[in-house]
Formats: sequence, structure tokens, C-alpha cells
Amino acid sequence: MKNMTFDNRTSVLVRNLTLPVLLIVVWHIWASTLPAGSPAPAPLKVLQTLGDMLGAGSLLSATLQSLGRVVLGFAVASVLGIALGLLMGSSPAVRENLDPIIESFRPIAPMAILPIAILWLGTGTPTALAIVAYASFFPVLINTVHGVSRVDRKLVLAAHTMGISRWTILTRVVLPGALPSILLGTRLAMGVAWTAIIAAELAVGAKSGGGGSGGIGQMMFVFYAYNIDLNAIVVCMAVVGVVALLIDQLFRLVEKRLIPWRP
Amino acid sequence: MTISPRPFVPASTAPAKVAKGPGLLLTYRTLWVSLRSFTVFFLLWWLLHWWNGNPLQLPSPLKVLEALWSLLREGEIAEHASVSTLRMLLALSLSIAVAVPLGFLMGLSQHAEQYIDPLVEMLRPISGIAWLPLALFIFGVGDLLPVFIMFYVGLFPILLNTVAGVRQTDARLLAAARTMGVGRWPLLVHVLVPSALPTVMVGIRLAFAASWAAIVAAELIGSPSGLGFAIEWYRQMLMTPKVFAFILAIGVVGYVCDLGLRRLQRRLTPWAEGTGASS
Repeated sequence: MKNMTFDNRTSVLVRNLTLPVLLIVVWHIWASTLPAGSPAPAPLKVLQTLGDMLGAGSLLSATLQSLGRVVLGFAVASVLGIALGLLMGSSPAVRENLDPIIESFRPIAPMAILPIAILWLGTGTPTALAIVAYASFFPVLINTVHGVSRVDRKLVLAAHTMGISRWTILTRVVLPGALPSILLGTRLAMGVAWTAIIAAELAVGAKSGGGGSGGIGQMMFVFYAYNIDLNAIVVCMAVVGVVALLIDQLFRLVEKRLIPWRP
Repeated sequence: MTISPRPFVPASTAPAKVAKGPGLLLTYRTLWVSLRSFTVFFLLWWLLHWWNGNPLQLPSPLKVLEALWSLLREGEIAEHASVSTLRMLLALSLSIAVAVPLGFLMGLSQHAEQYIDPLVEMLRPISGIAWLPLALFIFGVGDLLPVFIMFYVGLFPILLNTVAGVRQTDARLLAAARTMGVGRWPLLVHVLVPSALPTVMVGIRLAFAASWAAIVAAELIGSPSGLGFAIEWYRQMLMTPKVFAFILAIGVVGYVCDLGLRRLQRRLTPWAEGTGASS
């Protein structure tokens, strides 16, 4: 039944493209009915703005700045989260004592601590880093704990019977066993981190009167509040989406590479 | 070689004793442990406050409790919390109303999925937060902006989980029902909906978590009321104890709502066990 003939494949492609194309056409028609001075975004103007921004290099540098913050904050959070997760996963005493604190902080959104981060660290890169690290810490930690708790007990017992030291058991048995879950945690964390950096940069821009510190979120705020360029905002939104997609694909690729035994 | 009758079990293999569902199993033991942990936590906080010496940056825990008490007594927390919660409920109901039927449509009809899926995949990577500047322009500062952002954020988890839930329906059940001459509508109500509901509920809980995280950002930037607004307001007034109190309120309201959703989940889908998602 699933014999994809050429006709079949083209019809699927047509169906796939129908709504996006329709959306853009409707948008274009709607935009062309507006008076000339209207700030409303239009497809052609968005493309033109994209070209301008790429040519000026401002888009790329802002994106790279945001990405750099995300990677740094994420790295800190991963190291802390995985280490603490392994500890909590392998020691019930540690887990029992830390769980109440962790569970109390978890429902507090990263953006909620932004005002405090601004109070402590100012409106620059450290604040952005802190928000990213806070946001990505919990997915990594929780998935690491979960992964460790699901490691096959028999394997650990077998290793122990063979007189293998605790450290070696941890690195050779527990860690590989928990790896799929840990990688899932890092992928989720990276997604959350990318969202958090945009929010942090936007809010820092909004609340410090444009005296913030760059990044694509800040760029969007400047286009909203000062230049009033909706086309540029749409370009930024598209870039945010594309980067999120690329990050996700990259992490899926890493997952496939590192855990080939799991489909 | 002797075999010891009871092998020593290293710590890493001991079954996790801590209950996964927080809160519901408050035995004396867990209560005692939480109390102990929080005492240490508050002690560390106090030490840090003492060492830092700047109450504008880090107020003492007592000052925060005092601020919390006065805000609770004056009803300010209840006021902002109810505004935020109402917005959240409105947005979540809107997401459910749109995403669940759409998810059923996409799960049941391959054609519908081929039409709609590209659009969903196009929009999904654009986080709700990234819509803020454009939405500010369209809706202005007010109630609509946070509701729109949360609606958008909640849409995707519910949609994807609904599609997955419909797809997971046991094909044998469907075939059996069809063989017995069950019509389309009863098939939907009695077979597909019960089968998809647990996954849909997981989607709703994920949607809640995501939109509750987004509401703070939305209210912080584009709303004259709500918990997110209050936090930022008191930061600008440099009333740090109140900032901490409102942050606490956000955590507590979020936690209570999730607890309520868990209860609802258990009530609605008692046949589904362990549908905890990893996030």
C-alpha cells in the first residue's frame, strides 16, 4: 500500500506546501492593500530587510553573541547538573536531602529570577549567563537523576562482584547506562536555554532603557521600541526559529553518534 | 570460593526511596527531611546575607517572610496571583480548544496532517517569547498580550501529544470496534478519546509548565498587572524583600496548579499509570 509512486510523492509535496504558500500569499495581498507608510511587515520587505541585515553583518554578530552566551551558560549548567545528578542518583541520602530544595526551585521560572539577577549582576552578559544557566540546569539534573535510577541493577552488581572500584563503576557502568537520558536532558536544556536568552535580552533591553548589552533579543527590542521596524522584527523571529531548529538537529545528531545502540 | 548469601548492594543501585510525585506522600519522614533541608538552606541564606552586608541585594530570610506576610495580609499577592492565574486559565483553555480537535484531525487523517504539519513545524521553533515585540505592537500593553503569548506557547505541546495519543491507539481495538459495526462517532468517543486522553493530559501539563514560565516574561515586559509585573515593579522600587516574596508566590502558584493538574489527570485517566514525561 505504501508504494510511493512519483505521482504520490508530488501530491504529498503539494499538500505540504499548500498552507505555507497560501499564508504568504494572503500576507502579501493584505500588506499590499495597506497605505505606503504603514509599518506593517510585508513578505517582500522582510526579504529585503533580511538582505540588508545580512549585508551589514549586524544580524550575524547579534546571533553569535546570543549563541555564545547560551553555550557558556549551558556548559556551566551541564557540568553542575550532570555532576549533581550522578551524585543524587547514586546516593539516596544526598537525593533525599536535596530533593525538597530542588523541587521548590523548579517551578520558579527563569524569567522570575531576572530582576534579582539584574540587581546582583547588572544588565550585561553575566545576567544573561545566569538566566541561561538557571534555565538549563533543571532539565539536565532531573534527567540525569532519572537516567541513573534506571541503570540496570544487575550490571552494577556484576561489576561490583568482579571487584571493580566505585569510581570505575560510576564511569564505566552507570554513566553509559544513564547516557541516553542525560543526552535527552541536555537537548531539552539547550532548547530552554535558547528561549531563555531571548527573553532575558528582551527584558534587559526593555527594563534598562536600551542600555543593555546586545544579542538578538536586545536587537528585537530596539527594533520594537526605537526604530519601529516590524520587518526587522520578523527577520529576527525567523532567525530565532532557524537557530532553535539547528540546535535541536545538532543535539539529535550527537545523540545518534554517542548512543548508536539506541534507535 | 564462597558465595555470600546477601550481596552488598552499592548505593548507586539501591532503589530510589524518595517518592516521585512530590507532596502527596507527606509522611513524617519526608516532612522531617524537608524541614531539615530547609533549615540548612535558610541558614546558608542568612550567612550569605550577613557576609554580603547589602540588604538591597540580598535581604535576610526574616525580612522576606515579613514582606510575604504583609503582602498576603494586604491581599496584594492574591490580587496579582488571581490576575495571572485567570490569564493562564483563559490561555490554556484556548490552546486546548484549538489544539485538541486539530490534533485529532491530524492524527486521524493523513491528508490533514500533510496539509497542517509543515505550518506547525515552521512555527514551533519560534519560541513564544520571540513573539513578544510583534505582539506588543499588535495588542499593546494589557491583558491580551500575555494571553496570546501563553496560548501560543501552550498550543504545541498539546497538539503534538494529541497527535501522538491518537496514533498510539491500538489498531486491534479499532478493528474490533469496526467489526462489531460501531459507527464513526461512537468509535471516536468510546475508543479513540479514552485511548488518547492520557497522552493529551501529559501534553496539557507540559503546556501549563511552558506557559507559566512564559507568563512572567510576558507580564514583566508588556502588562500593567500580574505576578511578573509585580516582581519588576518592586525591583525598580528597590524593595528587594517584596521581589523575593513575589518570586516565591510564582513558584507556589505554579506548583499548586501542577498539583491540581496531576489530580485531574489521575481523576480523568485512572487507567494510565506512570505517564510522567521527562522535562
